[in-house]
Amino acid sequence: MYASRIGLEIHIQLLTESKIFCGCRAAFGDEPNTNVCPVCMGYPGVLPSLNGEAMRMAYQVALALNCTPTPHTRFARKNYFYPDLPKNYQISQFGAPIGTDGYLDIEFHGKTRRVRISECHLEEDAGKMVHAGDMSLLDYNRAGTPLLEIVTEPDLEIAEEAEVLLMQLRRMVRYLGVCDGNMEEGSMRCDANVSVAPEGAPLGNKVEIKNLNSSRFVRKALAYETDRQTDILERGGTVTVETRLWNENRDQSEPMRTKELAHDYRYFPEPDLPVVEADEAFLATLKASQVELPQARMARLRQAYDLGDRVVELLCDEKETADFFEAVIQEGADASTVATWLTSDVRKLLNRHSVSLADSPLSPARLARLLSLLQASRIHGKIAKQTLEAVFELDRDPEEIIQEKGWEQIVDPAALADLAAAVVADNPDAVSAVRAGNARPLGFLVGEAMKRSAGRAEPRALQQALKTALSVEPLYVLDFGGAIGGERRPDGMVQAGALRDLTDMLASEPDLPDSIRFEAIPLGGFLSEEITPGDWAQLVAAIRERMEESSSGVVVSHGTDTLAYTAALLGWCFPNPPVPVVLTAAVQPEQAPAVMRSAVQAAIELPPAVHVALTDGVYPAVNLRFERVDTASARFRTWNEEYHRPDQWPGFSLPDVPAEELAERFDAAMQQVHIARIYPGMRSESLVRLMDAGFTAFVLELYDTGTANLGHSPFGLRAAFEEARRRGVRIYCTSQQEGVVDFQSYVTGHALWREGAVPMGSLTTESAYTRLIAAMVCGDDIDEAFAGMEHRGSTTDG
Amino acid sequence: MAEPGIRASGYEIKEHVVQADWKTVLNTADTVSEYGATVDARNGELEAFLEFRSPAPEDPGEGPLAGLPVAVKDNIAVRDFRLTCGSKLLEQFESPYDATAVAQLKEAGARIVGKTSLDEFGMGSATDTSTLSATRNPWDLSRTAGGSSGGSAAAVASGMVPVALGSDTGGSVRQPASFCGVYGLKPTYGAVSRFGLVAYASSLDTIGVVADTPQRLESVFSVIAGSDEKDQTSVDIRSMQVRETPGLKALTVGVLAPDTADDPAVQQAVRDVETYLQSQGANTERVNLPVLEYAAAVYYTIATAEAGANLARFDGVRYGERPLYAENPDELVRLSRSTGLGDEVKLRILLGTYVLRSGFHDQYYGRAQRLRARISRDMQDLFTRVDVLVSPVFPTLAFPLGSDGLTPYQRKQADRYTTVANLAGVPALALPTGVYDGLPGGVQLTGPKGGDFGLIRLAKVLAGVFPPPTPPNYPRVWS
Repeated sequence: MYASRIGLEIHIQLLTESKIFCGCRAAFGDEPNTNVCPVCMGYPGVLPSLNGEAMRMAYQVALALNCTPTPHTRFARKNYFYPDLPKNYQISQFGAPIGTDGYLDIEFHGKTRRVRISECHLEEDAGKMVHAGDMSLLDYNRAGTPLLEIVTEPDLEIAEEAEVLLMQLRRMVRYLGVCDGNMEEGSMRCDANVSVAPEGAPLGNKVEIKNLNSSRFVRKALAYETDRQTDILERGGTVTVETRLWNENRDQSEPMRTKELAHDYRYFPEPDLPVVEADEAFLATLKASQVELPQARMARLRQAYDLGDRVVELLCDEKETADFFEAVIQEGADASTVATWLTSDVRKLLNRHSVSLADSPLSPARLARLLSLLQASRIHGKIAKQTLEAVFELDRDPEEIIQEKGWEQIVDPAALADLAAAVVADNPDAVSAVRAGNARPLGFLVGEAMKRSAGRAEPRALQQALKTALSVEPLYVLDFGGAIGGERRPDGMVQAGALRDLTDMLASEPDLPDSIRFEAIPLGGFLSEEITPGDWAQLVAAIRERMEESSSGVVVSHGTDTLAYTAALLGWCFPNPPVPVVLTAAVQPEQAPAVMRSAVQAAIELPPAVHVALTDGVYPAVNLRFERVDTASARFRTWNEEYHRPDQWPGFSLPDVPAEELAERFDAAMQQVHIARIYPGMRSESLVRLMDAGFTAFVLELYDTGTANLGHSPFGLRAAFEEARRRGVRIYCTSQQEGVVDFQSYVTGHALWREGAVPMGSLTTESAYTRLIAAMVCGDDIDEAFAGMEHRGSTTDG
Repeated sequence: MAEPGIRASGYEIKEHVVQADWKTVLNTADTVSEYGATVDARNGELEAFLEFRSPAPEDPGEGPLAGLPVAVKDNIAVRDFRLTCGSKLLEQFESPYDATAVAQLKEAGARIVGKTSLDEFGMGSATDTSTLSATRNPWDLSRTAGGSSGGSAAAVASGMVPVALGSDTGGSVRQPASFCGVYGLKPTYGAVSRFGLVAYASSLDTIGVVADTPQRLESVFSVIAGSDEKDQTSVDIRSMQVRETPGLKALTVGVLAPDTADDPAVQQAVRDVETYLQSQGANTERVNLPVLEYAAAVYYTIATAEAGANLARFDGVRYGERPLYAENPDELVRLSRSTGLGDEVKLRILLGTYVLRSGFHDQYYGRAQRLRARISRDMQDLFTRVDVLVSPVFPTLAFPLGSDGLTPYQRKQADRYTTVANLAGVPALALPTGVYDGLPGGVQLTGPKGGDFGLIRLAKVLAGVFPPPTPPNYPRVWS
């Protein structure tokens, strides 16, 4: 078993107005050699004059990285000849850098790690040499741009962590406003040191990797390098200490010519600059002016506004968005509504118009106004989205837009009551059917009333007015197959069938309120085991639709075998339903009346959420498991209830797409995901073949808290994991037992994590699988879906 | 007392030309042309100027230095003048900017008339390491004017200008001033902005003044002293807490114990000053400075280490002489440097690279830094006891040019009296005390940090007793 240690050296260009040692503009993309002067060109006789702003920014980053600021910092000369280095020495720091001994906490695949920062030091950038044919051209515009080099200890273990660290650092420096963090344009640069050694042995020979100019290259290059060194060691070889360059075109690293590395930098104190004192007052001013950093802000928003991790991360990715979010709340809007709008519709419009939030016509006040119009029901959801688009196109206030376009709805209760009364009076047949206990004609009456209002009546309020006029509460029962709706044939076998008449079945129930009216909606006559992607799509679409219309609740009758899957799926898709959604199932058709009764009761009495109501009680939708106890009885129970809290694994928001597209999304998602269970004698090869067949994600059931054979034999999973990592295939790991899979306790578990296994913590296989399907259905792309699988709190403390 | 130390042997001692005369030299077309002709004639044999430009006649106007012609050592930037540093590599290089000190002189009304010769990049003590010229001593053309500011000292001593800027890293203002019989001040480190002085050894470099009288020295130094935002190592000595130099009666003078190996004239000059000060009631005390033994070694270690880095920029890439064709950037740099730089410069760069080499860094550079700290501390301690230190400037008077002179090693060892002030960052002033067997001689006054004006005041007092000598052919008046 081998362990890898990775350390990074990250350079960030500080966004000062002028260069670090002269008054030239620190700007790029200008005509070559226009932002230069005798100082940054290294003319004879000039002296550097330290830019206080660069100093301030450098200390700010050091403090944000929890470094101990150096009270007396000084500069040093690093000597080497290169034509892009005007003085042929670089003014850098050695021995007394800006800050030392800091850290940054990062999280990857459920594992948190503290990466120590050994130091941050300030230096000047070089110019750029461009080779053109048989000439070499030099542009010194960049020479003298302030650079802060951040050096980590070799605390990272795998390439993916390095990528996470870079992304987190990028976000931090953007929050601080000291760097734009653009790796492609070189304003953030990274070199890495990699060393692989047998587990428990001291640090192995170190290889430096250069030319990593995107976070993706960092991941690829480091994965390549850890593999390369492991291979060498496994073959009994020795890793050569060297510097290698990443070749992005060939996806491999190559040794740098030795000529370029024979450097003795001959550091000595820079005599042209005084020792700079960072006294208490200076540091206090810096600390006082420090912005709230991304991690702190995410934690605060999560807590203060009760938001999910994924939403918080989307909101806090850019400081601008987080500021905007809080500004809208200041205007009185509801936090979770603002969060939903900002992370979905607003984000899409910003992308479509290729504009940043700050430059867009949308102001916090405008969004707040739009949401208040929606909340006051003066417009409904679809119109609100339309209005938002109009704000982007017309750059006008939402109120003006809806008035001008005549988009405002009828919400006046008196007007709607009149409308309802008129419709009730004009449709005696439908009304008597409803009075007799059938909810179905309600839809017809709503349609009639809507027609009369020329489509301007607010649908929910209109439904309420009609329900009031008729004194009824509709409850929708969706028949999703299973024995509950099945029939027992004369030979005693159960076959799929239609849901029996609920009116009859529940007529004898004295506990149910008289106002309840049912509409039974058959979605398919099939048994639980026959569910297809299309069926799930249809169910989700139907619930979405009925939730909007119903004021009481939705009941779903289901088979027992796959109830745990469907329940979890609905739990992920409807994290905050407006009404209770209750699933129920009966093992035998004879139990149907009893379970239906408890489900209807739950739909009336329980808070809005997805529930599972069975004869023996009510369960949460996620982490349910079906178990047959003996030949006659079967029961459900919930796994890891004490670990699983809904806020750890927040749900998703369904995309606003028609049912047909939803069906396509389900189909596409379910074609890509495979559930596998490890067992003695399982071959790596079988998983690889499935990858060949096009599966991009697996839910893999491991033993206990997440152990598996990771050896090199055909029965070890190493080859499968390596292949998955290479292909970008994700493997989400659950337990065959009730183990909480966090890879914390066993060496093999940690090794799995290193190979890219994503621990699913407390989730059951059913819940993990449906979470992934929901994430793929609700996400815009596969990356977003995969991101949706990462978000949860710690399994031990909040 | 009887004519202390003055040996008039063949050379007349003239009364000094008054300051007012110099201010009218550049007033009219006639005076300018007479001035130009005189300089041309004189410079032909002395080679003190690398570049001289008769300025257009102009009314002197206002300002403390109005109309005063000033020469500037050719390692200090003057806009539109060349800045050769005495090096072939920079032979054609014109400065696009003014050094801060030069800008201040211009602001005060001074007129820059030319750039004076030097050892290449200030590395030498005879103004003979430059490939562009070799300056001769106005008192004896077979002898050196000293170095590295030999051009500035010779130009002032020969009366071509009344005052010149020089640079002093290890004695380069004081030693040539002393060899030529004029006044030379190496200010407190940082007292004059170094911006525009081509760096040799940044932590030791100072811009200094060579002048015909202590009064002139004071007026010019007053103009260029002060802190500068372009040089963050600069300080305003006027705002420093310095003990006031008392009058002669209350003065405590340290006199460096003589080294009998020094030239007798050198020992005589120190004794003359000591005797005079005692006669005026000053309290004198003989002082031993054990650190003197290390001063030259420490100086050459630190100076060359810094020089190696400072001269790295002369690579022919952005400016300077370079080959017409090179295969690649590395070759371009190698060819430019090997043909553009002289031997002494190459020697010091190699030495500097050597002392900073990984694995040897602490043994050489580290140790030199520790000794330097010790020297600074010793000097600081000394100036708690004495107001001023009187010592030789150099172990010899002006030595002969060519192989008759000192060997390179002797020359470097001989820098011990001057380098101490650079290593400690304290001010030191060379002043003439007379002519000894045909050559001028003098002493060095060293004071505490920021004590520059105190040294000048004492020099003014001594000038009344030891009037500045002038060599033959010294022009009388410019009116």
